[in-house]
Amino acid sequence: MTRRKFALLSGAAVVGAYGGTRLQKLQKPAPLPDGPAGQSAVAIVRARSYSDDLVCRMLEGIRQCGLDVRGKRVLLKPNLVEFDPATVINTNAAVIAAAVEVFHQLGAAEVKIGEGPGHRRDTLDMADDARYRATIPKFERIFTDLNRDDVSPVKGFGGEPEFYFPNTVLGADLIVSLAKMKTHHWAGATLSMKNFFGVVPGSVYGWPKNKLHYYGIPESIVALNRQFGKKAFAIVDGVVGMEGNGPIQGTPKPVGVLVMGSDLVAVDSTCCRIMGIDPEKVNYLRMAADLGHVRPGRIEQRGETIASVHTDFALIDDFKDLRLA
Amino acid sequence: MRHATNLHKTYSRAPHKGVARTLKTFPESADLLTVAGVYLESRLEFLRANQNADGGWSYFPGKGSWLEPTSYAMLALHGTGSDPDLDRAWKLVRSWQLPDGSFQPSGEVKEGTWVTAQALTLARIRGVNDASVRASVDWLLRVVGAEHNMWTRTGSFLHLIKARLDVSHEGWPWRDGNATWIEPTAHTLTALKKVAGGYRGAEVERRVRDGEDLVLSRRCTDGGWNYGTPNMLYVDLPSFPETTGMALLGLEGRNEREFPGALDLAERFRAETKSSSGKAWLQIALRCHGRNVAAPQESAWGSNGPSNDVLLASLEALGHPEGNYKLFRAGGQA
Repeated sequence: MTRRKFALLSGAAVVGAYGGTRLQKLQKPAPLPDGPAGQSAVAIVRARSYSDDLVCRMLEGIRQCGLDVRGKRVLLKPNLVEFDPATVINTNAAVIAAAVEVFHQLGAAEVKIGEGPGHRRDTLDMADDARYRATIPKFERIFTDLNRDDVSPVKGFGGEPEFYFPNTVLGADLIVSLAKMKTHHWAGATLSMKNFFGVVPGSVYGWPKNKLHYYGIPESIVALNRQFGKKAFAIVDGVVGMEGNGPIQGTPKPVGVLVMGSDLVAVDSTCCRIMGIDPEKVNYLRMAADLGHVRPGRIEQRGETIASVHTDFALIDDFKDLRLA
Repeated sequence: MRHATNLHKTYSRAPHKGVARTLKTFPESADLLTVAGVYLESRLEFLRANQNADGGWSYFPGKGSWLEPTSYAMLALHGTGSDPDLDRAWKLVRSWQLPDGSFQPSGEVKEGTWVTAQALTLARIRGVNDASVRASVDWLLRVVGAEHNMWTRTGSFLHLIKARLDVSHEGWPWRDGNATWIEPTAHTLTALKKVAGGYRGAEVERRVRDGEDLVLSRRCTDGGWNYGTPNMLYVDLPSFPETTGMALLGLEGRNEREFPGALDLAERFRAETKSSSGKAWLQIALRCHGRNVAAPQESAWGSNGPSNDVLLASLEALGHPEGNYKLFRAGGQA
């Protein structure tokens, strides 16, 4: 094959693939699968600021969801991404401190905190900057840098014969995704499910965890939740979220809510509706529709209604078509 | 040799927490040299006290051994009189080499990764130049960033990639089959420069030059480097101190005029950053580029008391004026 012919064929193939993707976007998406049997409870509780009584708010929401944590080893997984004293990128320290107290009050055998940031290696320095050490009692004793924890293999995750996860994550009975309510420039939104990216160890997969990008971001979100979703609970920090070019370069968006539930698909779908995003158009949620509930009729909304707290998040051009009608 | 000071004699057998406690009562008028000596010695003592029974080091005391903290602890302790302990560590590292020449990052993880570069650097510093070293060189020369393929390059040419990214260079990924990033590329540049002029010399030279060009091409508009994506969705992204330090190490030996202002930015980052590892990498990089960086003046372990981070302690020791930072230079010895 001549170089000219090769270049022409390559160009045609790329243009064809690009055109195919655009065409796919224009097509009406296939109907969502029914999902698991029954309904999922999702609680929306108001918390107008981080100085509210978050322990009380959280207890109220957890009780509405009927979660029993007695005797369980609980791992709190915040979203700690960047050095950010404005506390918009990261889960707020007050939310984590409240969660530590709440799960102790509810009878957990152990409450730990673990996080493995995707881009930065200085997990503890970032935690300092986010005031975790100053706000959360005995922080260093209960915190594990998941990027540099000891690991064990699990079979068949992410298309690999063996995939390694931190022992702190594998040993927990309940993982609480303490996510931040944010838009995301690849996934549309980053909420409780995407937050599980932080359990993939950088010591094996690097900073960023590029294996997940190659496997596919929506595919990885779903695979991680297939792996850990059955022992998970979500508390999404929507007191102040992030809109626009999230998850790092967006702008603060006060919403004044905490969103909670054991069905993370339903929690994220609820958050999307609060943010003015149609969850049925969000790729990872469509792909996860067999794991939990996306449709509003299958989600039992407790506490506040979506309509009472709904506020449209600004979306980047690529995601304008996700806007809830 | 370097640490034969009175302080060394005083603290060389003291547990590291004792050193830190002593520092808190240190008179403020203590001369800088003395404080600097404690800074270095406390870190080396922490490393000596926390070597695992198998010879390696964990990221944090009490956990299993990993190649990354082991390699940097070994570099920090190189030439300080801990030879039998370092020999044990080296034996462990060698046991992690796989048949294809790559190294696994720990005993548990059975696949080769970027740590192969760190093992190669360590081998050359220890004067090893055998078939196992050649196997590692073969592996590193075979591995390229996955974006260096026909599809991505064509997509880039047609402006279908929504980022300002030069994909014409090969570079190195964290794991074979993934994209190129600054950190694994920088570590591999350090390693391959130590075998330059030897086995597969011409190919090593070509990949080093191309790798350096990749680092230069991934510079952020603010003058430093982040993990390797200076622009995303046509928005410029900021650089980070730690990756700026690593990138500059990867460029060690390259003419400074090709990255104007980067060393000044690194000095500023070093003074301002909240990132401890960023500060440490910048100290190492700036010294390797001949900048006269003042010895650390902060308390021995920082405002939060003793750190239990083995990797950080190693990097801080390496970046000290009397530390082993010269080991990162091409052909450099302590």
